[in-house]
Amino acid sequence: MSQFWSVYIIAIVVLNLVGCAILLLVNLKMTPEEARNETTGHSFDGIQERNQPLPRWWLFLFVGTLIFSVVYLVLYPGLGRFGGLLNWSSVTQWEQEVALVEKRTEPLFEQFAKVPVDELHQYPEARDVGGRLFANNCAICHGSDARGAKGYPNLTDDDWLYGGSADAILTSITNGRNGMMPPMAAAIGGTDEAVRDMALYVQSLSRPDMTSDPQVAAAVERAKPKFAVCAACHGQDATGNHALGAPNLTDGIWLHGARLEDIETTIRQGRNSHMPKHEGVLSDERLHVLAAYVYGLSRNDEE
Amino acid sequence: MANYHSVIEKNVGLMIVLTLVAVSFGGLAEIVPLFWQKATTEPMATLRPYTALEMAGRDVYIREGCHVCHTQMVRPLRAETERFGPYSVAGEDVWEHPFLWGSKRTGPDLDRVGLRPITEQWHREHLRDPRQVVPESNMPAYPWLAENTVDWSHMERTLKVFKNQFGVPYSDQDIDEQMKKVRGEWADATEEDAVVAYLLSLGQARREER
Repeated sequence: MSQFWSVYIIAIVVLNLVGCAILLLVNLKMTPEEARNETTGHSFDGIQERNQPLPRWWLFLFVGTLIFSVVYLVLYPGLGRFGGLLNWSSVTQWEQEVALVEKRTEPLFEQFAKVPVDELHQYPEARDVGGRLFANNCAICHGSDARGAKGYPNLTDDDWLYGGSADAILTSITNGRNGMMPPMAAAIGGTDEAVRDMALYVQSLSRPDMTSDPQVAAAVERAKPKFAVCAACHGQDATGNHALGAPNLTDGIWLHGARLEDIETTIRQGRNSHMPKHEGVLSDERLHVLAAYVYGLSRNDEE
Repeated sequence: MANYHSVIEKNVGLMIVLTLVAVSFGGLAEIVPLFWQKATTEPMATLRPYTALEMAGRDVYIREGCHVCHTQMVRPLRAETERFGPYSVAGEDVWEHPFLWGSKRTGPDLDRVGLRPITEQWHREHLRDPRQVVPESNMPAYPWLAENTVDWSHMERTLKVFKNQFGVPYSDQDIDEQMKKVRGEWADATEEDAVVAYLLSLGQARREER
């Protein structure tokens, strides 16, 4: 702030305070005796309006506010460049708050960092911290109950696209993941019927009772040999591949919908899933606690 | 002395003038100096002007009233910086006309939403049907954004107004380049494309501080 604006602000503030004080003093000059004799000169139907002094309680309140302002302006910024004796600013207050919390939580995170991810979830304190981190960073996609949404994996069911080991979870959070299933319709024949057959076959993998319907059984027989192209990623037994993030098709868990239409869409158009990386967004200590929390989500029964 | 204030009481015009003088003190001391302070008039070094697509998204953001429920103002409080990111400073909003700070947080603050690790796909699904991805959300759905194409008819004029009237440092070449994209790759862009581009641009000036 330049000298000019500093002086300008100080001048207005001081002028204001002095002005208020003068106004007050001027009005104080009337004693109750004077007031008793004096009227405002207004007279209506013989009724005269008296000029009353300021009520005492109001007067003291006014003086109080004036004293408060002076004390405030001495302690806090308000007079141009003068920062106040307390040296307060919203930025330093924020810095102090952050430093205070950091000082308090640092030993806690250090302590957590010494415990491996696959054990840390048993510490209630770490679970609390992890839950907060999850709510602020993960819940937006995976849901506040961590049960996911269509296209966003459920983290509580112990079914993992990229593996459920402590390391795999930490890697998923830290570096993110890119899941890509290409459109497969052309590779399995390209016709609507071929796609429908394959969708029925894939659906029947987790619902063997479906094949009691002879029509479904016929479709499954037609699709089975073509599954070889799918097996490249999903595996010969269709149980998926953690290295590629290819889901297990036999467990009845459907990331992009369980309906036949959903499965057909997946085959026809493929799927692109992107888990953003959180390296640099959260500190390593926090990622550690978060990974432990996610690791613990599907293992609550053990306790 | 008593006579003086009777003069004021009996003269409405004088009273109005003196009232205005009295109430202007606050503004004169608190607002007027800001017009000449570097902190409020100089853009941050990392600030860049909006692209035409982001500008169109901003217009949609205003039209749909997003600023009624979402602020773009992270206050210097630890809880807020922990949740959203670096607190807002005046230098980020020098080129905002009008600014979209908002005053009510029904939804979360969006000033740093572009810095959060949220995918473009999520933004699209969330705009079409917020409850698809966040079951407890009470945000209205904006499915028509995906169907409407951007109305580009005023964009050249908008960019020129921002350049000439608001002092945003677009060069004539910048505007030509943007308009070339508007006629080319963005010709069929939907309003959703524009809003998502705008949302992802929010907070980019503070990327290094995240």
